[in-house]
Amino acid sequence: MTTLAFAILLAACMVAYALNRRAATGIRDGGQRLHSVSGYHGLFALLMILVPVLVVILLWLVLQGTVVNTLIMSSLPDGTLDGLGAGQVDLILAEIQSIASGRVFGEPEPWKVAAAERFSGMLQTASLGLVLVTALLCLGIMVFARSKVSAEFRARQGVEKIVSGLMIFCSVVAIFTTIGIVASLAFETIKFLRLVPLTEFLFGTSWEPQIPIRADQIASTGAFGWIPVIVGTIVITIVAIVIAIPIGLLSAIYLNEFAPKTVRSVCKPVLEVLAGVPTVVYGFFAILVVAPAIRTLGAQLGIPVAPNTALAAGGVMGIMLVPFISSFADDALSAVPRALRDGALALGATRAETVMNVLFPAAIPGIVGGVLLAVSRAIGETMIVVMAAGLMANLTLNPLESVTTVTVQIVTLLIGDTSFDNPKTLAAFALGMMLFIVTLIINIFALRIVRKYREAYD
Amino acid sequence: MDDLRTVSKDVDANNTKISAKNVQVYYGDTHAIKDVNVEIKERTVTAFIGPSGCGKSTFLRSINRMNDTIDICRVEGDIRIDGKDIYDRDVDPVQLRARVGMVFQKPNPFPKSIYDNIAYGPKIHGLAKTKAEMDEIVEKSLRRGAIWNEVKDRLHAPGTGLSGGQQQRLCIARAIATEPDVLLMDEPCSALDPIATSQVEELIDQLRESYTVVIVTHSMQQAARVSQKTAFFHLGNLVEYGNTDDIFTNPKDPRTESYISGRIG
Repeated sequence: MTTLAFAILLAACMVAYALNRRAATGIRDGGQRLHSVSGYHGLFALLMILVPVLVVILLWLVLQGTVVNTLIMSSLPDGTLDGLGAGQVDLILAEIQSIASGRVFGEPEPWKVAAAERFSGMLQTASLGLVLVTALLCLGIMVFARSKVSAEFRARQGVEKIVSGLMIFCSVVAIFTTIGIVASLAFETIKFLRLVPLTEFLFGTSWEPQIPIRADQIASTGAFGWIPVIVGTIVITIVAIVIAIPIGLLSAIYLNEFAPKTVRSVCKPVLEVLAGVPTVVYGFFAILVVAPAIRTLGAQLGIPVAPNTALAAGGVMGIMLVPFISSFADDALSAVPRALRDGALALGATRAETVMNVLFPAAIPGIVGGVLLAVSRAIGETMIVVMAAGLMANLTLNPLESVTTVTVQIVTLLIGDTSFDNPKTLAAFALGMMLFIVTLIINIFALRIVRKYREAYD
Repeated sequence: MDDLRTVSKDVDANNTKISAKNVQVYYGDTHAIKDVNVEIKERTVTAFIGPSGCGKSTFLRSINRMNDTIDICRVEGDIRIDGKDIYDRDVDPVQLRARVGMVFQKPNPFPKSIYDNIAYGPKIHGLAKTKAEMDEIVEKSLRRGAIWNEVKDRLHAPGTGLSGGQQQRLCIARAIATEPDVLLMDEPCSALDPIATSQVEELIDQLRESYTVVIVTHSMQQAARVSQKTAFFHLGNLVEYGNTDDIFTNPKDPRTESYISGRIG
């Protein structure tokens, strides 16, 4: 029946389009000058029907279940639900629904069977109602839209208004999603901060969230300091960036300025493949190839190396970021006007001098933007560090030791049995919030820098 | 025109600076320059005129091997500066371009300060040993570029902040700073307003005292005003080359006559 409703909507849209279009064409052929081209009159009718009726159908489908359930439960014989908890009430509802759909277990009480029959009846009525309402609405709007057709009617402006409304709606969706995410993080973070003081979380240097059994014990011992965790993230990010920036930038400069066409046509797709490798595969690579290699090397040199080093995780993450930085730098270099390049070359600058003294400074905003976005990706990267970095929160800056990161901690805190009144679980949200704030600040900086220098060479 | 005529007589006495023989330029399969032969005199302004797409800019860019930077471009034939084949294997295009400066159609100052714009060429070629020498080169170049008085108080302001005409004179000063013998100009005034144009034209006339100037222009009035020699290109051919006043008053080829009287192009 729902399909029928959508079919009616589609048909109504097409008929309304044709009707209005023909009506408008008729007016034009009658010798009058239309304000809007006849196509706009058709489009106006189409959108007038499509948008509101679609909203009605979707709302109907969303609300139908709740309304029917409420009606069924209130129609049960008096006293059936007395003294039952919310879980048991849900169980009865589920049983009624399964009987209605034909799956009967054992011998249900007669009142349940009766309720199930009423349930199916209501569902049928509801879907019939949907079709009826759709048809009536379509018809009503069609008549209204048809009555609007006249030489003076500004159909084009009408269409533009509806379309711009749709565009506003779409952008608002993105904004509200962000707000929703932040809000859900914020609520849990506030709960967390009721159990653990903010100063302890922000300035504590010890992170041992697995200890607590009872919330009140831990809130007083101070094992929720995020400093070692964020320091671990920073160490890994620095390792990643130190590896990614030179490789990414130099490969971009080579490919953009020096590489023969054939090399470029091979290397660019390969770099893009690198960008497409799933991070979990990078994790394998880090844990199976890079980490043992670093340990062996360390053993040969007599340097103590932890099994899960920040260097292994950060190094592989750096490789992951190479295509990111190199494609940003490549775009930025290509965007430098040819005139600047020619100007330097015509002065007798070599290609290397041209790149270093003219192209690179002009491309700096784009490159810096790319690097900062890469940094925020490195901070938020999860899979590689979950697999290759450690779990213990060591407060150290030595990349050869095992460190943990914010994302690793969030994952381990939320895995397994969790209860949402325990600071251990809530700490994950607090960490998530901090991560969000840090990456947000970096992104704002990135945008600022890009904006500030954008028109430098225009 | 009288004074111009005296000038052209002087010019004929000058030595040949650039000589091109049987030059062909190809862009991929397109034959853009066909068999061009020309002798450009020292300390002369030579104008290349012709309709759009006739190859005058392409030929100009062959003189400092800027065409090398275009992958699909191929130059054949013989171009000599002071008798030396510039396409010879032992010629370094980088050093050649230091001797043959170029000014482009659209002003293209680097996104650096005015001072650094001028100092860039001398710096990469090691023309100044001390800061004082560099200051001197910058001042001299800006004076010769007829822009010193406008920018002397803000040498460290960005070059991109100047007006279009000032930017173009800055670019000319930048080209002069590397002490070239030859200055190539590719429609240097096409992006400028009439006042800036006349300033640049005046500058070009002064530059003739020390440099060999080759200028591509769309404006026949400009060619007549600033040049002593004119070459007319059409569809990749050099149709006619001679003293500017002869070309404009008494063209030998019917195509030249059609062009300068506005019938083709």
